[in-house]
Amino acid sequence: MSKLVVVTGGLREPSSTRLLADRIDAAVREQLTDQGVETTSEIIELRPIGRAIMDALLTGFAGSDLEAVFEAIDDADGMIAVSPAFNASYSGLFKSFFDVLPEETLSDMPVLIAATGGTERHSLVLEHAMRPMFSYLHAIVSPTGVYAATDDFGAHLSERIGQAARDFARLLRSCGPRQHRDVFTEEINAMESLLRDSAAEPGPGEPLD
Amino acid sequence: MAGMQFGIFSVGDVTVDPTTGRAPTEAERIQATVTMAKKVEEVGLDVFATGEHHNPPFVPSSPTTLLGFIAAQTSRLILSTSTTLITTNDPVKIAEDFSVLQHLSGGRADLMLGRGNTGPVYPWFGQDIRAAVPLTVEHYGLLRRLWREKVVDWDGEFRSSLQGFTLAPQPLDGVPPFVWHGSIRTPEIAELAAYYGDGFFANHIFWPASHTERMVGLYRKRFEHYRHGGADQAIVGLGGQVFMRPNSQDAVNEFRPYFDNAPVYGHGPSLEEFTAQTPLTVGSPQQVIDRTLGFRDYVGDYQRQLFLIDHAGLPLKTVLEQLDMLGEEVVPVLRKEFAIGRPERVPDAPTHESLVRAAAEAAADDGSDDTTEEVDT
Repeated sequence: MSKLVVVTGGLREPSSTRLLADRIDAAVREQLTDQGVETTSEIIELRPIGRAIMDALLTGFAGSDLEAVFEAIDDADGMIAVSPAFNASYSGLFKSFFDVLPEETLSDMPVLIAATGGTERHSLVLEHAMRPMFSYLHAIVSPTGVYAATDDFGAHLSERIGQAARDFARLLRSCGPRQHRDVFTEEINAMESLLRDSAAEPGPGEPLD
Repeated sequence: MAGMQFGIFSVGDVTVDPTTGRAPTEAERIQATVTMAKKVEEVGLDVFATGEHHNPPFVPSSPTTLLGFIAAQTSRLILSTSTTLITTNDPVKIAEDFSVLQHLSGGRADLMLGRGNTGPVYPWFGQDIRAAVPLTVEHYGLLRRLWREKVVDWDGEFRSSLQGFTLAPQPLDGVPPFVWHGSIRTPEIAELAAYYGDGFFANHIFWPASHTERMVGLYRKRFEHYRHGGADQAIVGLGGQVFMRPNSQDAVNEFRPYFDNAPVYGHGPSLEEFTAQTPLTVGSPQQVIDRTLGFRDYVGDYQRQLFLIDHAGLPLKTVLEQLDMLGEEVVPVLRKEFAIGRPERVPDAPTHESLVRAAAEAAADDGSDDTTEEVDT
């Protein structure tokens, strides 16, 4: 059983970014199902949580709806992330979402990157913007991304989606179910060691374990 | 002052009043802070705490100077901080400053330690923000020894060594000021407070209550883990943020421009959203009473409640009116209601007198043979 989340940053309704996200999602699930891995996916559209993302940037905390989205991502085994290309990069909303997502959420997460744009001239947005950002976040970025210009929706897009889905399915299967890090407990344990090692006076009585 | 302590904590920001377009001068802001602190005592509250900042638009860069001046003009008020930067201040200077304040105020000083969240303060004071946690542990370890050992020989990583150092003046009555550790969401700070059996203060103003619940829960559990007492006997303080008028709609209307332009959360969520998501309460005194009593539902019986009432450009006159309402209508009810159902074994808020008593009892215990501490159940 594999749980996927699909983050899609399209702004229009209907959105070609969402269309691309849906097609990749379907292709990946088909691959995994064929290989005997039962797969579910959850679509996360950024437009409806746009204000919540900005509020989280301004206040430093996420509202409850946004918290629920973060939990869904934390719970997933893999992510498909799709952004429109704006000004030679991902969209500001897409970046802002990953700016407020709690640190370490994407650590060790297999991610398939994809983007849409008006023309094929923006295709390197995958390699020059999206891949470095997800690498920085310690995600495991699938080697094959999908860039779709408007014209591509009339051309060989299905084949490229199929190739990216095959590579991503292989990555997901080799990574297996995700090990969730409990950063909270890790920090407390590290602090206890630090206190016991360097506190200047003998610590309190033996803890009750 | 048995049971719980109530008071206010001030950030000390100089902010334009959005309704007049005017900001107070630094001199006006500092004098207003003194006026507020005196009023806190006058209306029957217990604690005034000042922040510490080293950059504009804030004025309290020298907290014990401010608190010493207030101490001279009050007789009952507990003087505290919110927070004292344990990372960038020299622990020797903290020990000296608060020892003097303790003597001047007749034992009315305590302090809340924090790491500070303004990055450049670290290099300005010769420290490295990446080492904030080990720096906190080392500095606080030294501070504790300075207050407890007559002659200190000390070696560490972040400060020059001390050989044959004796703190002057020694703590009043041989008892160091009570220490709180303040945090919004850093589990390490809850762990530090629990390790030493100190107080833990959850900021509880800018973040959802769920974070406070988690942090206080962690602190209580670890306090028991380190055998300082039961989880319900840990010493907990909470922040809170209120704005009141007799008629709740008047409170909302009057506070809205201050909220909308506030430095911390302004231009983001609406007042209504922020009120729903955080402990901010804007309304009638009764609404403040009801909301505050609800804090106990998720942190348990606690010891200290401080309110933020003077930020975001609110004029002094308005702040003093808030204090009148807190003193006359809100806190007397909170004292009474919080006392109901509060178990015997939950400690009162610590004071100098209670610490002196505890030290005397501990000394008497050491004198007799192997007296084991009895905990009422």
